[in-house]
Amino acid sequence: MSELRIPGATPARAPTAMQVGRDKEDVLVGDEIVRHRFSSRVIHWTVAVFFITALLTGMPIWSPVFGWMANLFGGLSVCRWLHAWLGIAFVASFLIMFVAWLRDMTFDKSDRRFNVFEYMKFSDKEDPDVGKYNAGQKFFFWAAGVGALALLLSGVVLWWPTYFSQGLRSASILLHDLAFIAFFVAIVGHIYLSTAAEPGTFRSMTRGTVTKSWARLHHPRWYKEVTGGKAR
Amino acid sequence: MALQGLEIRRSSASLRGGGTGLRKLPTVAKYIDTSTCIGCKACEVACQEWNDLPNAHTVQTGTYQTLPTMTASFWNLIKFREVETPDHGLQWLMRKDQCMHCDDPGCLDACPAPGAIVQYVNGIVDVDPEKCIGCQLCETGCPFDVPRYAQGTNKMAKCTLCVDRVSVGLEPACIKACPTGCLQFGDKTALLDMARHRVEQLHADGFAQAAVYDPQGVGGTGVITVLKNGDHPEWYGLPRDPKVPTTVSVWKRVLHPIGFVAMAAAVFGAIGHFMAYGPKKPKDTSRESGGEV
Repeated sequence: MSELRIPGATPARAPTAMQVGRDKEDVLVGDEIVRHRFSSRVIHWTVAVFFITALLTGMPIWSPVFGWMANLFGGLSVCRWLHAWLGIAFVASFLIMFVAWLRDMTFDKSDRRFNVFEYMKFSDKEDPDVGKYNAGQKFFFWAAGVGALALLLSGVVLWWPTYFSQGLRSASILLHDLAFIAFFVAIVGHIYLSTAAEPGTFRSMTRGTVTKSWARLHHPRWYKEVTGGKAR
Repeated sequence: MALQGLEIRRSSASLRGGGTGLRKLPTVAKYIDTSTCIGCKACEVACQEWNDLPNAHTVQTGTYQTLPTMTASFWNLIKFREVETPDHGLQWLMRKDQCMHCDDPGCLDACPAPGAIVQYVNGIVDVDPEKCIGCQLCETGCPFDVPRYAQGTNKMAKCTLCVDRVSVGLEPACIKACPTGCLQFGDKTALLDMARHRVEQLHADGFAQAAVYDPQGVGGTGVITVLKNGDHPEWYGLPRDPKVPTTVSVWKRVLHPIGFVAMAAAVFGAIGHFMAYGPKKPKDTSRESGGEV
């Protein structure tokens, strides 16, 4: 990494966690751990932007209760057109994220012990065998994949109904609707858990880093792996 | 075209009704006697002329039919079918295909754009292109395959039952042009009487299966059709028991409420969970430099 030296400034120091996080992740830098490298964060926020805009252009079509959202984009006709393309952009960027994160998201034996109801009690007795992602996060990842596929397939039918049978069109209305409701509920949970519910989490998607104590609490095995076997 | 002065009974994607409900008009209807239609296409021409629609290039498909199907700029098509019937030999069956102006319109039910499809107090179902977003969901909602999509302008179009003529006391253009009197226009109850009378005549003429086609699955239609072969509406290209597709009703009446409840539950669930279980944060942060968010 090239260092910019300014005469009279403090001498060059070891790179900060944020600097390391430009191209590396799962490394300990001082008191911080890089959880998501720059490319991971970029793809996450790309997916997020397309998801939110697709949601905002789709909801006024779903119900007139959300008709006001259409005004953000210039009216319902614009939404009808934009929604389809934003949907394509969402699925395309999701696919890139899916492939990039697939390895970390593969279920292993320890995931069987995960009980979502126990987890949501927020006791600090975390299973010591939880790696970089717990089983709930992995499930969310796979469910979102299935949901994105459902939205894509039904969306294509709704976009060009002329080429599909009445039965397929009707089924697509229901599938698109169900997937939307599931995604809405899921995104509320996702945002809640990554901000207010678990402080110290959101920064992993902005600066890319977390504190050691955060890693120890939420992902003990990952913490051990990253710090080289040190439990403390 | 939404008409000023003619009150709206129902409007698509509207949470509350579109009219006062005080201004009453009798439900109007078209009467079509398929047994006296000679397939002259005068109604097709009158429709194109009155509605300022361009001349269509006819397509020869080997039958006495102008086009294979209705288009966004051809709303009234005489369907021609040759059917070998067991009782009356070979028959030429003509049927005027156009919007049926259902009492319970599936297109209106499926439409997500507020006010894009309206039903006036006299029962006429109409599309307002200014509000139409071209999503084509009405195509899926219609049990008669009527609404047509105009590619270039991204709008839907269909027969308006000449609402502009009807609202000023004229009969629709197609009715005006019919030379045999097989097309009539007026108060639906009066026309139903007329249709029943005609069916009795047909019974007497040996067509024992003659019947009136006014399907109740869509609440009855604004087009009353007398069929010589009333037991075989499909010979005329009419669905036997048309209904608003179940998926459209399930979508609007079941999934919508479920969706709203689920969305509210997610938001209130998150708030409630936060209050009950609080944030999950590291207990001991003294070792780290900052216990920041």
